[in-house]
Amino acid sequence: MLERRFNPITGEWVMVSSSRQKRPNLPKESCPICPGVLELPGEYDLVSFENRFPALKKDAPEVKKDSNILIKDKSQGICEVVVYTENHNSELSHMSIHQIEKLINMWADRTKELSSYNFIKYVFIFENKGKEVGATLPHPHGQLYAFPFLPPRIQLKIESLEKWYIERHSCAICDVVKEEKHQNERIVYETENIMALVPFYARYPYEVHVYPKRHVETIYELSNKEKKEFAHVLKIITNKYNGLFNMPFPYMMMFFQKPFNINKSTHFFHFHVEFISPMRGPNLIKWIASVESGTWAFINPVEPEHAAKQLRDVEVKIDAI
Amino acid sequence: MNILNNYFDGEYIEFKRDGYYIKLKVERIPEGYIIRGKIKGNLNKIELFDDTSEEELFINNWQSWSPTKKIKVSNYKYNIPEDWKKSAKYSAHPMPDYLENNIISDYFIGKKNKVYGFLTSKVAHPFFEIRDNKIIACLEYFGKYTDKYIDIEPLIILEDKEMEELLEIYADYVKFENNPEFIKWNPVGWSSWYHYYENLTWEETLKNLELSKEYNYEVFQLDDSWQKDIGDWIPKESYPDFEIIANKISEYGYTPGLWIAPFSVSETSEIYLNHPEWLVKNENGNPKVAYINWRKNIYALDTTHPEVQIHLKNIFLNMKEKGIHYFKIDFLFAGAIHGKRYLDVTPIEAYNIGMKIIREAAGEDFVLGCGAPILPSIGYVDGMRISADTAPFYKINEPDFVYPNAYYALRNVITRYFMNGKWWWNDPDCLLLRTEETELNEKIIEMYSYVSGLLNNMILQSDDLSKNIRKDILLKSLELRGGIPHVKGLMNDNYYFEIESYNTQIGNVKMKVDLDKINFGIEYDINYPLLKKKTILREDKRLFHYYEERDNNA
Repeated sequence: MLERRFNPITGEWVMVSSSRQKRPNLPKESCPICPGVLELPGEYDLVSFENRFPALKKDAPEVKKDSNILIKDKSQGICEVVVYTENHNSELSHMSIHQIEKLINMWADRTKELSSYNFIKYVFIFENKGKEVGATLPHPHGQLYAFPFLPPRIQLKIESLEKWYIERHSCAICDVVKEEKHQNERIVYETENIMALVPFYARYPYEVHVYPKRHVETIYELSNKEKKEFAHVLKIITNKYNGLFNMPFPYMMMFFQKPFNINKSTHFFHFHVEFISPMRGPNLIKWIASVESGTWAFINPVEPEHAAKQLRDVEVKIDAI
Repeated sequence: MNILNNYFDGEYIEFKRDGYYIKLKVERIPEGYIIRGKIKGNLNKIELFDDTSEEELFINNWQSWSPTKKIKVSNYKYNIPEDWKKSAKYSAHPMPDYLENNIISDYFIGKKNKVYGFLTSKVAHPFFEIRDNKIIACLEYFGKYTDKYIDIEPLIILEDKEMEELLEIYADYVKFENNPEFIKWNPVGWSSWYHYYENLTWEETLKNLELSKEYNYEVFQLDDSWQKDIGDWIPKESYPDFEIIANKISEYGYTPGLWIAPFSVSETSEIYLNHPEWLVKNENGNPKVAYINWRKNIYALDTTHPEVQIHLKNIFLNMKEKGIHYFKIDFLFAGAIHGKRYLDVTPIEAYNIGMKIIREAAGEDFVLGCGAPILPSIGYVDGMRISADTAPFYKINEPDFVYPNAYYALRNVITRYFMNGKWWWNDPDCLLLRTEETELNEKIIEMYSYVSGLLNNMILQSDDLSKNIRKDILLKSLELRGGIPHVKGLMNDNYYFEIESYNTQIGNVKMKVDLDKINFGIEYDINYPLLKKKTILREDKRLFHYYEERDNNA
């Protein structure tokens, strides 16, 4: 079954995709995205391809709409697997800056192409790294979901940024960047054009946000210089994560860009990245339990200022930009 | 229920005025307000809204060829030669006399940190009048009567940002309101006009096709020249039939394109002689001259007449069937002249009816509008000329109104940049890249071409390809496309502008351009790995997009 169902109590759409139960679970002998194996027959540099087990499909089956109470719709969208390199034993923190720069251009091109479909409303780029966050393949890769609707948290971000814009005639993230620079307590790493910080409002213990200092709405508006610095910051942050507890650090990396094709003004949306991790200490997990799941209210057991200092103190040696 | 004696229906408040009723509501948006409403009764000019004016304003006139520019109200003059006015007629404005005697801006107007604009033009002609230190938003209904409420053209008020940013936001809201679905392909091609004008022959067409092989065009379009007469849209005797024209162009791998002025009928045409009932009439019931061109009176088809509708549709279906798949439709303002028609509709309604017929007949083929009212054309065309005709000359001190002149053409390419990619693909008019038989120096040729590329406009070249051509400029202009451009300086005293485009094919690019001093500078982004992409469709219908670094010097 592939369809989406509407929850009238929360206003959210739930994607039902029973094919995802057939996904591979940590294959021991072969990796399906290594060159010459299941998905990618020959050598490659970078590749993005439609997921064999999608939650959304471009040619999704039509659904029978037989109730105006229990509302459903077809799951039309695109889910892609984004492979960063053919090197199975690499990861974002190990990859060369040059490879990450190419990856950024691939993310930008995917966004541009997918947003040209009128039925696509949101392009969500993300990476789940580590079995603690459900990654099924160790080969360095991320994914993207091109949604036919605005997911609830995206909707919330748009509403909040719009409200801020109406009240203050400015962008909330632009204002936060200035204030964080001024307070200088939570910045983890900073370049001329990009700031990485544990946000004042972090929900998770070692949550890191990456904000371009210039107001851009999408990844493809970044200049080459900004993209180079962005690549550098991604490498620094993922290395700091690994150095924090001297272990491969599980994380979710999520890109937030403006929505597309929604016939609504969203120029106040500021492109940004959120890293979150379930880790709250060496071998300690912060579980997402009733309060967080039921109410969306988060309790952060680590002061963001302390987390930022810990991450700042992790030394990472990378050639200067 | 009533509010201060005005009926409130739960959404709108109704006001009674002399001869008509109007009900209005104001919608808050992040950047300002939208005024929406409905109207019924005897409708003429409605003054909907006013706000204080300023000495410096950014104004726009109604159609493709008209200027969009900053003015100073205190020294503004409608400085157009008398002989031109006599022939231009409705090409100047749907109410040419009114334009001559007032300061008006059609569809939208800007001041330093504010933009006012109408979002549609479906029934009325929307414009702004500057009078008594006020900007007055007006809707002209041309005497329409309706006893049922119809939607007014919504008015948006945008504030608290630089005017250029507000114009981009205005373009977004117009897009949201009209929801145009134009073709995603932004064409590159060749057009005959600016070397051959009306003298293109089939032999010269064949010669240029043969010479075009190294240019990688996508479209090859024959302009005004091939037709029997204006209104008689069949090839003249010295040309082969449509099928042979289309097949020959297709042999070279190009989409065959033809120019046509679908609403225009010349006094010598068979349509004029045989079907005077198909034409828009004056008050005496005689065909009304829309404009004078080709040394002839030109009349306008009445797009509300059932036989005209079939005729219009068949013109395009016939050309399509014979293999023509790119239509440059010109002198479109003729479809919107004020006059008597078969149906009692406004000129703007008649224009919408005619354009809808053409759009539906053309189907998925590319339609390029020209000489077209701007706002009512949204949704019917894939590309749109947004400037006066260019020319093989660049004259700074000539009258600024609808005349061919590369100087004013390029000015409009910049001042109307914000429409591109939202309403249609902007056509900056053709690039003239020859270095002989032209008064344009190489600096002007480069400046015009690079601005057009950087603004991600359509690129059509118009040269006799046997001449000396700066092909390198064409290639460089194409490299500058693909980005998201922003312009600064629309309110500058001189024509000095800064253009910055994000994510062109070679990264972010900045261009400073001075149209008066004929000078420009380009700043390129730092080096960054560029990718080439190969997409493969697998047997299971999944797409695989392979990326690898491309050699920037290749």
